[in-house]
Amino acid sequence: MAAHRILIANRGEIAMRILRACVGLGHEFVCVHTASDAASGHVRLARELGGEQSLRRIRSYQDANELFAVADACEATAVHPGYGFFAEDFRFARRAEKRDRPLIFIGPSWGVIRDLGDKINTKRIARSLAVPTIPGSDRPIFDEMEAVELAEAIFAFQDEQGITEGCVLVKASAGGGGMGIEEVYDLDTFRSVYRRIRNYAKRNLSDEGVLIEQRIFDFNHLEVQVAAERGGKNAVHFGTRNCSVQSLGRQKRIEVAPGFDPASLTYAFDAGAVLDSITRHSVHMAKSVGYDNVGTWEWIVTPKGEPFLMEVNTRIQVENGVSGVIARIDGRPETSGGVDIISEQIRLGLGEPLGYGQDEVRLEGVGIEYRIIAEDPADRFTPCLGRIERFAWKEEPWLRVYTQVPTALPGGEPYDIPMDFDPNLALAIVWGADLAQAMERGAEFLKGLVLTGTDTAGQPLRTNIAFLLARTETILHF
Amino acid sequence: MDIDKRTQQLAGRLAYIRDIFGPRENASVAMLKHRLEEFLAQAPGLGMRELSQQVARLEELFSLLEGKLENELCPMDRVRIVRHPQRICLKDILENVYDNYTEIGGQDEWSIDPGIIIARATIARRMGKKTVHQSVMVIGQEKGHGQEFRNGGSIKPWGNANALYYMRVAEVENIPIHTYVFTPGAFPVEDYPGAAQQIAKNLYVMAGLKVPIVSVFSEGGSGGAEAIALADRRLMLSHGYYSVISPEGAAAIEGGLKDKASPELIERCAERLKITAFDNLRLGFIDRVIQEPPLGARPEHYEFFRELRREVVRATDEVVHQAQSLGPLRALAMRRKKRTADPQDIFVRWQLGAKARHALVEQRYAKFRDMSRSAFLDNRALGVRLSTALARGLWSVHSLLTHDLLARYKKRFSGLLEYVEAEMRALGQGVGGPFTLLSGGRRGVPPETLECLTTLSCPEEGACRLDDVWVYVSPKSREDRTLTCPNTATHGCLDLWAPDLFGEFAGVCSHCGHHFPMEFHWYLYNVFEFAQAYEFNTAIEAGNPLEYEGFGLKLAEAKRATGLASSCITFEAKLDGISTVVAVLASPFRGGTVGAAEGEKLIRAVERARIKRMPFIMYSHGTAGIRIQEGTCGVIQMPRVTMAVRRYIEAGGLYLVLYDTNSYAGPVASFLGCSPYQFAVRSSNIGFAGPGVIRETTGMDVPPKYHRAFSALSRGHIQGIWDRRDLKKNLHQALLTMGGRNLYYR
Repeated sequence: MAAHRILIANRGEIAMRILRACVGLGHEFVCVHTASDAASGHVRLARELGGEQSLRRIRSYQDANELFAVADACEATAVHPGYGFFAEDFRFARRAEKRDRPLIFIGPSWGVIRDLGDKINTKRIARSLAVPTIPGSDRPIFDEMEAVELAEAIFAFQDEQGITEGCVLVKASAGGGGMGIEEVYDLDTFRSVYRRIRNYAKRNLSDEGVLIEQRIFDFNHLEVQVAAERGGKNAVHFGTRNCSVQSLGRQKRIEVAPGFDPASLTYAFDAGAVLDSITRHSVHMAKSVGYDNVGTWEWIVTPKGEPFLMEVNTRIQVENGVSGVIARIDGRPETSGGVDIISEQIRLGLGEPLGYGQDEVRLEGVGIEYRIIAEDPADRFTPCLGRIERFAWKEEPWLRVYTQVPTALPGGEPYDIPMDFDPNLALAIVWGADLAQAMERGAEFLKGLVLTGTDTAGQPLRTNIAFLLARTETILHF
Repeated sequence: MDIDKRTQQLAGRLAYIRDIFGPRENASVAMLKHRLEEFLAQAPGLGMRELSQQVARLEELFSLLEGKLENELCPMDRVRIVRHPQRICLKDILENVYDNYTEIGGQDEWSIDPGIIIARATIARRMGKKTVHQSVMVIGQEKGHGQEFRNGGSIKPWGNANALYYMRVAEVENIPIHTYVFTPGAFPVEDYPGAAQQIAKNLYVMAGLKVPIVSVFSEGGSGGAEAIALADRRLMLSHGYYSVISPEGAAAIEGGLKDKASPELIERCAERLKITAFDNLRLGFIDRVIQEPPLGARPEHYEFFRELRREVVRATDEVVHQAQSLGPLRALAMRRKKRTADPQDIFVRWQLGAKARHALVEQRYAKFRDMSRSAFLDNRALGVRLSTALARGLWSVHSLLTHDLLARYKKRFSGLLEYVEAEMRALGQGVGGPFTLLSGGRRGVPPETLECLTTLSCPEEGACRLDDVWVYVSPKSREDRTLTCPNTATHGCLDLWAPDLFGEFAGVCSHCGHHFPMEFHWYLYNVFEFAQAYEFNTAIEAGNPLEYEGFGLKLAEAKRATGLASSCITFEAKLDGISTVVAVLASPFRGGTVGAAEGEKLIRAVERARIKRMPFIMYSHGTAGIRIQEGTCGVIQMPRVTMAVRRYIEAGGLYLVLYDTNSYAGPVASFLGCSPYQFAVRSSNIGFAGPGVIRETTGMDVPPKYHRAFSALSRGHIQGIWDRRDLKKNLHQALLTMGGRNLYYR
């Protein structure tokens, strides 16, 4: 296979992992960075691995015109968007494919991104494939009578389920970011809430459509990691992961793979069957829609053990490593320490076949991923700024740390947390043969971690680690 | 003494003649000049008797040659005559034609707009020994022999608004209106009420004014003239001009708006535009020409004023006579005396009865409907014409039956059904109540409702992606290039990729919402459902009625390039299940200008909508105004279409106007601007005259964004601004909420 030159249109930790994967696969790469990011680890690594010519200074990571201009200037043949920025922007993917000098977009094809990028549409597709989704409307409701009927049905459904406090979610279909969304606990107030939301949406979003759904409390957030080859015929999954430990802003903090561990914990329902069902549904849906790269099917599982598909993330995710670390592929010895899902993504994205089936994928042990984020758990997880002076940990064979903070690298200098980007500092993944061992190793890592900084960042970072440590005890318990 | 005065007068006459003929060499003028100089040179040596003989001979020569020169006047000379400061003005007319008058629109410069004079005047008529004073409302532009503050008779919007107010007063008082048109054009400012919008309002109101209106044209420049000239009788002074644009303006456009047009070109344009009184009489836009003294009427021509008085009285009499029959004897006398005797001998009361007031408006509509009939190409075969007329009649009967007669019974019947049903329901609840209580049954939810929570809501469509792909995609979306939004500097918009911008985004900047121009086809197919529409009026084609030199070629080129027969497309379409009549003004065809063909098409479309009880949507994809090459044939479309629109609105329809890109001048100042429901697509411009024209005519610099839709909205000219992507939704909303009582789907 001919070597490609891949433009890495991202920064930080993910850029570094893509970079390593490119080198591992024998592809050339071009790394971009902004002025404020010049000290970041990914720039350092690119300089180390590809020399100065593999680096390009840009004004913004978010200007597609500039990225394509860079791609043309350095004759790139493919572009990897990472996560965030352009990863789920089907227009970017479409432009990469349709422009006069096409670039391979390493990710699903643009049609797939568009179809699955919209939650309501995903719900519709899922329903057409008999994949379970959250009870409620799968299209914007414009009619009050219809809305009331639907709410009535949802309350009755919850009644039947034995849920004492039924709750319905009313949200503006054009809304987002928590605007125009309200919970209703009884049918009498529903009408007025519906009207309020509808009027809000009409006035502020100029779209009257309203969605009505069951509100589910105390659910577990599970994800299925799927990988499929170009053409969309062949798809496998790399197991599940549980992302239920989140901060207030729904930012995931700890992820565990697999999603449930019926071997060491007891659940009120058949956890093994749930895991089986969601992976089966996910792969089935991926094949049906012609999914053709890596992606994540996000599920919620109610306390009763009912899975509902929430959305599909058509990109590589931050927490892909935790699924990778428990997966092995038979006949591929290099995967004995886990599968590098990013390498797989690049390989599949460039058109190589999968080369193995679901039978050859084995899941082994338990992985836990910690996200170390510069935000303050004591202050409603507000992001904080500051300077990191020391960042060190004890290397272990069962531990992987991904970070762009140069302080952690040999000869690293103190690092000022940039204010232009999300405050993610590092990802740490531990692996254990079973849950107990993984939890023990996780605690060991966190206790041995040295992370100090100036006062603005120092105290929040310490609370952060304490928060992670405290939550390690309770993961996977329902 | 007397001789001095007379010589001075002769010198004055010569100066006037030389003003009129301008730089042109003319043997007669040279001869007059020579003779007068000769006389002046030898005058000191002559005796009194000799002098007076010589002067008398000179005066005779002057009169003779003035008569001769009269025949040599070219159109541009006539323009110079009406613009000359010595030309009669409205004050002269008020003083000399009417018997008494009071100015009510202000005094000299202390007026809301000194360019317009509004006065209540009386004309005394004799009936035997009794004198009857008949009141009229006199409205007209005043040039005031060059008084600066009169603004040359160029009327500001508020002046027109004031005129309109007093027209309404006249209607209440039931007295005729005499209007005198002495304007080179309206003053193109947009301040409230706005030049274009106010003229549109004037036209709309005058179309239905229930008193006789007689107007007299001296200088009729385009929209400014139309604002007060929609009349039952339109008279014209023999040296006047009446046109869509001043010859200078036409020449400037012809010359490509680059630099000042040469005098020769202006002369040629004046010739081609057919602006003189006799041209207009021949084309049927005016009813009568009032003969002026040679080389134009000046204030000292008292005989002329008497003639003018006779003519306006006769015109008013005729209008009244047409609307309501006089006594048989007077009618006979009138017919017999026709043009010979003084019309004032036969007394006609100018107040109209209730019935006649209605008839008058109908007659006015019929009169304008008949104008410019032959100014476009009608390619329909005779059979088609007949069948169209027949279909029209059948539709009228059909609408009458279904909407007026049957609908009433249907309403009554359904009302009865509802009543019975509601009663039965109440009965069922009253009786059933106790039983349900007994059985203690909680109201269950049927299983099929429960099922709908987790199954697909539209299974028949399979994977059920709600496709938001446009039916028509602009060819501009096939180029791999980026465009810069004009708001980048202020809003920081990133450059847009053409396939995204003109495809999915419908030409709207995704960051700031700026609308890039789109082809009219985009609207036809994506908004107005043109693919399923029935297009009518296809056989009507734009022509070259004045045989304007060189225009035929340009027109043929436009037809070839756009594939259209005129700038107007009319069709019947179903928008969300509601049948509507849609008219589109397409800017690629000669800038979306409106001429006789477009006017006719619009009138037919409006009438169709009226007969079939459908909403009428007018989408202006951009219009540069009236097609100047059609001269008065074009400008007459302003009142014509406005009248049709008024009839439609009064019949209870919905007339909705949608502006896009740039809409200027005549159409905005008439049938577009008169709609009570005017909306604009974002980033469009609406106004009376473009910034360049304003700078040229008024000398003032317009602020940026002067004509922007948002400015128009805040001035109150339009009612809302719509996003291009939401047009369909907003139109549907409009169809459900706006409009009169007579729409079939209500």
